[in-house]
Amino acid sequence: MRRISIDPITRLEGHGKIEIFLGDDGSVSNCYFQVPELRGFEKFVEGMPIEEVPRVVSRICGV
Amino acid sequence: MAKLKLASYWAAACGGCDVAILDTHEKILDIAAAADIVFWPIATDFKYADVEAMPDGHIDVTLFHGAVRNSENEHLAHLLRAKSKVLVAFGTCAHLGGIPGLANLFDRKAIFKCVYHDTQSTVNPDGVEPQTKTQMPEGELTLPEFYDTVMPLDHLVEVDYYVPGCPPTPKQIWAVVQAIVSGQLPPKGSVVGASEKTQCDECKLKKNEKKITSFKRIATAQPEHETCYLEQGFLCLGPVTRGGCDTRCQLSGVPCRGCYGPPPGVLDQGAKAVSAIASVIEAKDEAEIGRILAEIPDALRSLNRFGIPASLLRRKTL
Repeated sequence: MRRISIDPITRLEGHGKIEIFLGDDGSVSNCYFQVPELRGFEKFVEGMPIEEVPRVVSRICGV
Repeated sequence: MAKLKLASYWAAACGGCDVAILDTHEKILDIAAAADIVFWPIATDFKYADVEAMPDGHIDVTLFHGAVRNSENEHLAHLLRAKSKVLVAFGTCAHLGGIPGLANLFDRKAIFKCVYHDTQSTVNPDGVEPQTKTQMPEGELTLPEFYDTVMPLDHLVEVDYYVPGCPPTPKQIWAVVQAIVSGQLPPKGSVVGASEKTQCDECKLKKNEKKITSFKRIATAQPEHETCYLEQGFLCLGPVTRGGCDTRCQLSGVPCRGCYGPPPGVLDQGAKAVSAIASVIEAKDEAEIGRILAEIPDALRSLNRFGIPASLLRRKTL
């Protein structure tokens, strides 16, 4: 089985990769999209004063 | 002269640094005229394999944004160090750990529990968490290892220059690019694209005498926008933050949160903030000092908003 890795996915915000598996006849057997990225905003803004949250979560995506 | 080879990479980042580069507007054309871009995921389609195939030292300058928080970030830090003549920690995350560095108040287990199990929007009946290796029928899939601890770039590799800011201002970026193109770079290890003064030195808000008798929250009290926020009792990190951003937050109606990092000569911005605040509190006795300090909203994350990984604290005990 042939494998094509697209790593990283480009021209977008964030990190991603695609793994494509091809059968013997060259047709796509399966394809996986992966996000190798996590920063954990969900956790580290817990309990933060509400007026500070926009100043932090604006750094989830700066694009 | 041969054109410079320039790379720009994001590790644990938001892309804001890359957009700040694009925010140099028409000057981006001058950058393109002076330099060939050989790797820039947000804007060009080069792959990791292309970087791995380059000879060592092939890239003249790499602008590395983002903190190092997983094994992929670490691999790219070592890879780009090897491939680059000059490696620049560009933006607060690469410089000090930045906002992603707030995760150092927790560990991987606590973050995974929150993100993959507990949040209201998560549906995960099988309790799946990311694995570094997963065997699928067609082959093995891999993901980077998520670390307990976020690091600034220089905890892993030698860094030649630091450009602070979350994000660095386009004006400062342009000054840095001009310095690179003309070869007029200061000694290795310098902070570039910022000033040698503090935010307060450059802040145009009216300053009188600072005598703080209580701390207020911008959510529940209305500041007056022409006078120093700290004087009014709103926490501002201006006294302990490097200048160079034209005090854009203060001019936008909010106090400084310290993204340009410590000024020259200051080792730990949060510790210096404690010292600076202590010197402007007006209190009669210890109990009153305690009451005033307790009013500082979310002190740990407010005094060390952008630099926990590079601070003396580095992280919460594991």
